[in-house]
Amino acid sequence: MIQMFHVYKTFGKDLEALVDVDLHVHKGEFVFLAGSSGAGKSTLLRLTFRDELPTSGQILVNGRNIVRMKSRAVPPLRRTLGIVFQDFKLLRDRTVEENLTLVARVVGMATLEGQRRVEQLLKLVGLSHKAKMPPYKLSGGEQQRVAIARALMNDPLILLADEPTGNLDAELAADVIRLLLEVNERGTTVLVATHDLKLAKEAGRRTVFLKHGRIVEEWS
Amino acid sequence: MVEKLKHIVAHALINLIRAGWGGIASIATIGVSFVIIGIFLLLVLHLNALVAEWKEQFQVSVFLDDRITPTQLEILGKRIQNEAAVKATTFTTKEEALANFRRELKGQESLLEGLGDNPLPASFQLKIREGYQSPDTLKRLSAFLSRLEGVEDVQYGQEWIERISNIVRIMKLLGIIIGSVLTLGSAMIVSNTIRLAVYARATEIEIMRLVGATKAYIRAPFLVEGMLQGSLGALLALGLLFAAYRFVALTFNLTSPLLPTAANRGFLESSMMASLVGGGAMIGALGSSIAVRRFLKM
Repeated sequence: MIQMFHVYKTFGKDLEALVDVDLHVHKGEFVFLAGSSGAGKSTLLRLTFRDELPTSGQILVNGRNIVRMKSRAVPPLRRTLGIVFQDFKLLRDRTVEENLTLVARVVGMATLEGQRRVEQLLKLVGLSHKAKMPPYKLSGGEQQRVAIARALMNDPLILLADEPTGNLDAELAADVIRLLLEVNERGTTVLVATHDLKLAKEAGRRTVFLKHGRIVEEWS
Repeated sequence: MVEKLKHIVAHALINLIRAGWGGIASIATIGVSFVIIGIFLLLVLHLNALVAEWKEQFQVSVFLDDRITPTQLEILGKRIQNEAAVKATTFTTKEEALANFRRELKGQESLLEGLGDNPLPASFQLKIREGYQSPDTLKRLSAFLSRLEGVEDVQYGQEWIERISNIVRIMKLLGIIIGSVLTLGSAMIVSNTIRLAVYARATEIEIMRLVGATKAYIRAPFLVEGMLQGSLGALLALGLLFAAYRFVALTFNLTSPLLPTAANRGFLESSMMASLVGGGAMIGALGSSIAVRRFLKM
């Protein structure tokens, strides 16, 4: 699903964010990207959804070479992905529901289908009763669940999560990971970047360790 | 499709209101710019219409010597009519001339009290054919006619025409220069307002981008907003111009040479007004696309 070959990313003249990264994530896998801050996890994710281009190396997502991709092919690529961030990135001036329907409109879903999907996903994340609330009235964990629901609106092949539990306490963090695992059960490939090793260990899934931009270790 | 359009415009309006003073600045700037451009336009149009009207009516006046004999008159009349450049002639006697003059002085006939003898000459009023209406041709014709027997003077308003033509030329040039500067300035102000709007919606834009919205989808609303600002500015200008125009016309009791031609009582034609609004929309679109290109990261 995601294949990286000898990927290097250097910012400016000498900031080496990624060095000779070879990574293969298979369809349906759940993989943790672990490492301390600055190890290169976020950069790696950003390369995956083509927010950045690698300095050298090849990256294939779902079989497509995204380095050679033309820029107008990027929106369709991103529609096959779902992305979750540490700071949730929800719109304050919209309700939970409206945050989800935004996606439906952007990708051109029919109104009815969009509504159905919103209902489905809010049910999945257990927040149907808070659909009409603005995000700031929800707890951190709930907001992240809304963000996950939003990332799933498009039925993505891959879900990318950049430090999804960074702003959450231990209990809520565990909740979110549990939800992500559930999403994975349903068939979505999941890649989670985190500096919380304990979380990764508890989940017991394949974990790839990054240090100073290199892959140094791997647990299966 | 129409529903979607209404939707987009409605959103654009809402965002315009949210833009507050920035939006007002854009609209006002374009409004003022278009008022200035509109004034030039109106002036040029009126001057051109004046010249056209003049061309419609009698263009050359051949004033006759008071002592002209009937024979001379007849010969003269025939010679004039034989001229290729002359389309038609009308003869005005001294008495008719005085009566016309009296009529034009309506209300101030007292001025004529102390006149005594009728000082006004008889004249031939000539209409000139289309191909012969250039200043040079008229000059030659006038020179020729003034040498004929019985002719005291030939007038064809030459200074007037040349002067107006020059004025129109200068106005057009000035108008274009000033218009261009104003257009650029307006576009910049719209660009700034849109820039603020882009920043204000940064999170929303980023989400749309990450979720897979196309560039066009993200840019479109801003484009519409810019065009809205432009159109409203132009409409404002048209409103102001129209009000000022009516005021001037009424106060100074002027009749417009455009009166018989334009359906809007001497103001700009509908097609011209539509063009101005369209022009405003385009300036808005220009400003908006500059802002979007510079500040919208994709």
